[in-house]
Amino acid sequence: MGSSRIPRVGIGGPVGAGKTMLIEQVVPILSNEGYRVGIISNDVVSKEDADRMRKNLSTEKGLLSEDLVIGLATGGCPHTAVREDPSMNISVVEEMEEKHSDLDMIIIESGGDNITTTFSPALADYFIYIIDVAGGDKYPRKRGLGIESCDLLVINKIDLAPYVGADLGIMEKDARLVRKSKPYVFVNCKTGQGLKQVASHLIKDVLFELPPKAVAK
Amino acid sequence: MHINDGNDLSAKSDDSFSSLLDILQLSDSFFPTGMYTMSNGLEAIFYADKIKGPKDVADLIKVYLEYQLGPADCVGFGNSYRFIENKDLQKLIEIDHIIFSVKLVEEIRNASTRSGTQLIRCLDFFSQNKEFLKSYSAAVQIKKAHGVYPVAFAVACSSFDIPKENACTMMLYSFTVSIVGAALRLGLIQHFEGQKIIHDLKPVMLRAVRENIDKPIESIWQFAPQIDLYQIDHEKMDSKMFIT
Repeated sequence: MGSSRIPRVGIGGPVGAGKTMLIEQVVPILSNEGYRVGIISNDVVSKEDADRMRKNLSTEKGLLSEDLVIGLATGGCPHTAVREDPSMNISVVEEMEEKHSDLDMIIIESGGDNITTTFSPALADYFIYIIDVAGGDKYPRKRGLGIESCDLLVINKIDLAPYVGADLGIMEKDARLVRKSKPYVFVNCKTGQGLKQVASHLIKDVLFELPPKAVAK
Repeated sequence: MHINDGNDLSAKSDDSFSSLLDILQLSDSFFPTGMYTMSNGLEAIFYADKIKGPKDVADLIKVYLEYQLGPADCVGFGNSYRFIENKDLQKLIEIDHIIFSVKLVEEIRNASTRSGTQLIRCLDFFSQNKEFLKSYSAAVQIKKAHGVYPVAFAVACSSFDIPKENACTMMLYSFTVSIVGAALRLGLIQHFEGQKIIHDLKPVMLRAVRENIDKPIESIWQFAPQIDLYQIDHEKMDSKMFIT
């Protein structure tokens, strides 16, 4: 409540789109650039995502301390927790800001939800919406507030396109049409393809290319 | 309520209708305090297979009201109102600490303080009767007070001049609605049954308010050990939908 606001990135998307894996892939890239990141993971019915990220990013890779990955239950209302009533998320973010003022960024992962998910600007300064090609190439065309209004649209699992009959050309055309000039990135979180672009967007658009706090000191 | 929109609406408005709107706003589950994320142990009781249907849910809420919220939160709430009227911040902070300490389970304490803190921050955004709100909010900010929900709610309601009894009843009503909402999402009851539970519990809520609101601080107690144990169990659950 009393500490200064650390840039916050909200990540939303349907169940299984790859939100957790996107974080697991992007945080090491940011970390390699010297940026320190904290993670709050909203889960619908478990703390499995938070446990997995803690194990992967903290225990195994040592990129952040274990208390920098926090799991949060949402009472079965993932969209409410990041949009209509983000009270609990804001409290937890502010507690993290107070304890870890040296962080460069806090990532808030929404629980899996539908295409209307958006983040309250009171909670997140930048909003990534992630979908995957296995949901069908109709996704961008269907619009929905999440796809239309997010700061960065990430389209994941592009390697699966030929197996599920998804046309990446159609997805790109529709994404461009629906999102006008706002950016979108095709990625494969399994191989890392496209993820440096996602990290670059975060460094440029969220951190304004400022050096990591640890370096600036 | 204070509206200065340049027309005659506020001038014509009846004070009681105005107060009613304040009550409706603060007791509405749409008001952002994060209560929809809490089950207060119900989720652990449900997964322990110790609760079956609407009657059990109603009985459980009755226990909460009579053995936890009534003798602890309502007494704390009533005293908070008194200290706010007397502009006695130190005594209000004392109540804040007592209510915090009688919430035995960490998950419950954290949820209560997070909810209370966000409540007063939201009020601070639009309430025009802010003097005490600001003082209490500042005490929370510098960690002199916890911002525990019953005290924060008293500060919020008093800033709207809502009568003490009405405000305390709202607090119990909102709590009841949040547990019923959790029971619905757990599939324990269906929506008509939820409304019947709320209706049937109205006399219990009123009695809890009447019996406790004017009691002194020294009479604060709470005793529902089985619920405490389930709330502790909830803290350890690997897979859960609610934060409490």
